[in-house]
Amino acid sequence: MPIDFLAIAPEIALTVTALLVLAADLALRGDAKQLVNPITALGTVVALVFTVVLWGQDRVTFNGMFVVDDYAVIFKVLFLGTLLAVLGISWRFFAEGRYFQGEYYFLLITAFIGMLIMPSARDLLLLFVALETVSIPAFVMVGLRKRDLYSSEASMKFFLVGVLSVAFMLFGMSMVYGFTGTTDLAGIAAAIGAGPSPDPLLLASVLLVIVGFGFKIAAVPFHFWAPDTYAGAPMPVAAMLAVASKAAGFAGMIAVAFIAFEPLADVWAPLLGVLAILTMSIGNLIALQQRDLIRLLAYSSIAQAGYMLIPFGLAQPGNVAVNDAAVQAVLFYLIAYAVMNVGAFGVAIAVNRRTGLRSIGDYSGLGERNPLMAVAMTVFLLSLGGAPPTVGLFAKLAIIEAVTVEVTGFGLVLATFLVINSVIAFSYYLKVVRTMWMGAAPVDAPVLQPGFNLSAVVVVLMLGTVLLGILPGLVSDFSALTSVQAAP
Amino acid sequence: MFEEYLPVLILAVVATAFAAGSLVVSSLVGPRVPNPTKLSAYECGNEPLAEIRTTRFPIRFYLVAMLFLIFDIETVFLYPWAVVFRSFGWFGLAQMGVFVAILGVAFVYEFGRGGLEWD
Repeated sequence: MPIDFLAIAPEIALTVTALLVLAADLALRGDAKQLVNPITALGTVVALVFTVVLWGQDRVTFNGMFVVDDYAVIFKVLFLGTLLAVLGISWRFFAEGRYFQGEYYFLLITAFIGMLIMPSARDLLLLFVALETVSIPAFVMVGLRKRDLYSSEASMKFFLVGVLSVAFMLFGMSMVYGFTGTTDLAGIAAAIGAGPSPDPLLLASVLLVIVGFGFKIAAVPFHFWAPDTYAGAPMPVAAMLAVASKAAGFAGMIAVAFIAFEPLADVWAPLLGVLAILTMSIGNLIALQQRDLIRLLAYSSIAQAGYMLIPFGLAQPGNVAVNDAAVQAVLFYLIAYAVMNVGAFGVAIAVNRRTGLRSIGDYSGLGERNPLMAVAMTVFLLSLGGAPPTVGLFAKLAIIEAVTVEVTGFGLVLATFLVINSVIAFSYYLKVVRTMWMGAAPVDAPVLQPGFNLSAVVVVLMLGTVLLGILPGLVSDFSALTSVQAAP
Repeated sequence: MFEEYLPVLILAVVATAFAAGSLVVSSLVGPRVPNPTKLSAYECGNEPLAEIRTTRFPIRFYLVAMLFLIFDIETVFLYPWAVVFRSFGWFGLAQMGVFVAILGVAFVYEFGRGGLEWD
């Protein structure tokens, strides 16, 4: 069976870029090393072109293990767009911080190759390989500042929790294989659907598989690594972990939940619904106490993962309308979340890269010191909270819309928690906004020099946040067409 | 349904009882002849060279191990490929070429970064 090379063209483009980056890192010396960044960006654009070409074509290769449908294409565009934004906010951070630049960009591309594979994988083994390809470079990237104790601690915690949860997931996968005799996701669904009432051990192994992805998306109770890791990691890496890696976790979770274990939705949906309530409530309540902006963003990203888990709680076995609406809501929320959260990390890098302190007090008087960054941060934070006219509002509405497709008691409970938590979240987002605009600038406040790339990325993301808030159809027209349960 | 698991339960109980019993009996009736050699680290029959906890050893050993892994994996894949080489044809040759080339990049990278210089 021949391989469909166009279907895997984006992955191939990134792989070639990764090898070029290694070669360039060897060849370049000193300041010239920062040229690795534009090389990476160029490769990303090539991959993006190949991805856009694939829109509307349903391609299947590797004996059905690898599927490129519209759902996967949207995810890939999301990942590659995030990669471009992360590259933009990384350039000066790494060029001036005496980091290992070549290694960083190589590892970054490698992690994104894994992410590109994730939404296309239709086989447990390929999903596992993709998840590990995302995780292992991330462990190293977090620890790049190797003489910094915080960075080492962050890397160590991330590694231990990551390996533990992956071990759980592998154990679950092996038992699922034992029960169903296949690793193909559709085959698993068929085997579970055809069999008698499911064995308790099978249900346990389904939950074990979900644990692995729960770690990636930092859902409570697998969230303990997130704040320490984001705080200790180099800040662009934290942005990557908070957005791209989380989106990859959701891609994998959607694949196993809505394809492989779809017949068991009445078992995992209530469980993930309760996790959603816990994740958003605990994330928001702890975020209220944070004085460090990166930790605040970390807990806010945990809470956001909770919002995105809500649609999982609505799933019903065999109900295509509800399940499709749930997946579309998650997809739309992920895109909105990527735009606003990478932007927030971008502003954080602009403010704190030189000083190294991340206290919210550092943002005092930012409105006078650098109005552009202050406006941008205000937009991003309001959007994370879900205020009009930003994309964050429509992202939350998309989830409410998924609830209304088929109103159930549990769905209403979830929606209520979403509304309550949005109100709680505003209190800490607005605290930062108030500090920026009403606080007095410290006398010895350093002059901000964000640099051209970072400013460009932040401005584009800010415009995107507002534009999608006015015209959400630019994204939702596409995401609303997708379905993971495409005909085989 | 759970009755089918009864033999497994019995096996688990017997195994636990045997292991625990052996430990208890050997601690009660076994002879005790302590000597320093018994407490020393086992290094494949050699005399231990130094205290393990306080010894520092060059991190380059890891680099050598990495290099070993590169070629080890290459060999693991080359052997089965060589057996069925003829039935794969040119496509198989090209694929293995790509694989070896990617590993080659890793090797050149390690070489270029000075990973093979011992000092």
